[in-house]
Amino acid sequence: MINQLSFPSFVWKNLWRRRLRTLLTLCGIGMAIGAFVGLVGFSSAFEQAWLHIYTSSGTDIAVIQRTFLNTSIDESAAGKIRALPLVAQASPMIYNVMDLTPEVNALVYGWKADSYEFKSLRILSGQRFRDGKPEVILGYLLAEDLKMKPGDTLEIQGSPFKITGIYHGGSALEADALIMPLDELQQLSGLEGKVSTIDVRLRPAPPGEPPEKYLKQAQAQIEAVVPGTKAVPAAERASNNEFVRLAHASAWGTSSIALLIGILGIANTMAMSVFERTRELGILRALGWSRWQVMLLIQMEAAVLGLGGGIIGIVLGCCALRLLARLPQTASIVSSQVPYPLLAETLGIAFWAGLLAGAIPAWRGAQLSPVEALRHD
Amino acid sequence: MTSPALEMRDVRKSYEQGQIEALRGVDLSIATGEYVAISGPSGSGKSTLLHLLGGLDSPTTGTILFKNASLGSDIDLDTYRSRKVGFIFQAFHLMPTLRAIENVQLPMLGLSRRGMDRAARARDLLMEMGLEDRMESYPNQLSAGERQRVAIARALANEPDILLADEPTGNLDSKCSANVMQMLTGIQKRHGMTLIVVTHDDAIAHAAPRQIRIRDGKVEQ
Ligand SMILES: Nc1ncnc2c1ncn2[C@@H]1O[C@H](COP(=O)(O)OP(=O)(O)O)[C@@H](O)[C@H]1O
Ligand SMILES: [Mg+2]
Repeated sequence: MINQLSFPSFVWKNLWRRRLRTLLTLCGIGMAIGAFVGLVGFSSAFEQAWLHIYTSSGTDIAVIQRTFLNTSIDESAAGKIRALPLVAQASPMIYNVMDLTPEVNALVYGWKADSYEFKSLRILSGQRFRDGKPEVILGYLLAEDLKMKPGDTLEIQGSPFKITGIYHGGSALEADALIMPLDELQQLSGLEGKVSTIDVRLRPAPPGEPPEKYLKQAQAQIEAVVPGTKAVPAAERASNNEFVRLAHASAWGTSSIALLIGILGIANTMAMSVFERTRELGILRALGWSRWQVMLLIQMEAAVLGLGGGIIGIVLGCCALRLLARLPQTASIVSSQVPYPLLAETLGIAFWAGLLAGAIPAWRGAQLSPVEALRHD
Repeated sequence: MTSPALEMRDVRKSYEQGQIEALRGVDLSIATGEYVAISGPSGSGKSTLLHLLGGLDSPTTGTILFKNASLGSDIDLDTYRSRKVGFIFQAFHLMPTLRAIENVQLPMLGLSRRGMDRAARARDLLMEMGLEDRMESYPNQLSAGERQRVAIARALANEPDILLADEPTGNLDSKCSANVMQMLTGIQKRHGMTLIVVTHDDAIAHAAPRQIRIRDGKVEQ
């Protein structure tokens, strides 16, 4: 209905009246939300990439040490696991982050030359390394970084290694990594006979058996034959992995700070606006508006700022992710596809941020006595 | 005898922890449908009195009764303000961002009655005020007289029993004043409304059937 005044239209007019301030506030919260979308989006892409390592090689379970500090398990456990009827293959491995040159550090894997995990790799040039030989294969991104090709020699922690091949990994993380024989990496890191994980592939579940139950059964059997270890389903391992956890923590940490600043921005804007409109709020009270309605008006203005900032932030964040998806350094990890649940979560966070920011100004606005407010100017 | 629309019993109002005594024991009774002018020198407590009658503030001591219901206890002040009284200010107090027709709807928005055609009601009220050509105008596009007529329409929005006006002609020239007073008294007669006008214009005060004079926070006998 034309000219019908409604609560939302009144809210809109109040915000529109101070458009510059509204715009600046929106930019502030928008940048915070953008940082949130970008960082959290990036860290979840990182988690996805990690998960892909397992899915592309068909790993169902990762066996790790149960205690937190002692991170290695005996390599011999692999044989016991392999002997279990449910288990198709078990591949002991080490992964570590190492300095390759003063500028480049990379994820270094130690695999056995016959590991089933090779199935997820495509050798682009050269060939696989052999066990017991100082040989490595490089992910194609790392090879580009180091400007090396098969036949070149790479010095790792003082020992020369011959590059036998360049591969394309099933996961983005592997594209930036280096793989060497397990025994060589054990020697290099002083971990003879030890491994960090045993990746396990299960035989297909018998028909009619629920996969969850089958997985549980396998976990229990593995933990029984190798005491002191934990058999973690691959999906869980991907998100519980310490690198992923660190990425999540820093993403959430950084964006919480940004969000806090954004919330303070809205709170400041709303506090100013309540102060400037003291008399108007008094008039509304004089016209019969209750405290509750005045509070609702201010809260709605703050929530609109939050939501508007959220939309701006999503646009900014998605642009940032698109950009990361194109940069050579990060293209492999970030796909330009934006995770939709994250967007819904973001809008929710933006809305609540607005409400939170509006709470104190709204409360103050509602506390005004009509007469005091009318005398104010 | 008609029952009183409003009654004050030994009402006192002080400010600044009792340092300023704006009202020092006021007793008065105003009948339903009565038109009363309140006059007195500046600072004598006229506005304070009107604010208390309008439920914008509470007395320090004493009671105010609306149709025998005590304000603030028998009837809650928000409800009283939104349904029973319409307030008109000297400075109009229109919302600058809202058109005339939207300003008139503000009190109706406070009622939050679902499905009410607020715009139609606002249009009728503005027509009654002779503002059919100014409905879409913003306050700064209106003359002072027109603004006060919008404010009167707004005060009538929720069909109040009582209309309170605090120096409604204080910012108007004499021609507009006469026009606004004519509107107010016209409404009072047509709707049988109780009308209380604070004024320091003697002509207006004398024209009212009943006049109450205030001096130093007391009703002059
Ligand atoms: N909110 C207030 N705080 C302090 N003093 C006030 C307040 N309101 C009114 N007063 C004082 O109370 C007295 C009466 O004021 P008021 O009712 O506005 O008089 P009038 O309307 O007759 O000019 C004046 O001395 C005024 O300064
Ligand atoms: Mg006054």
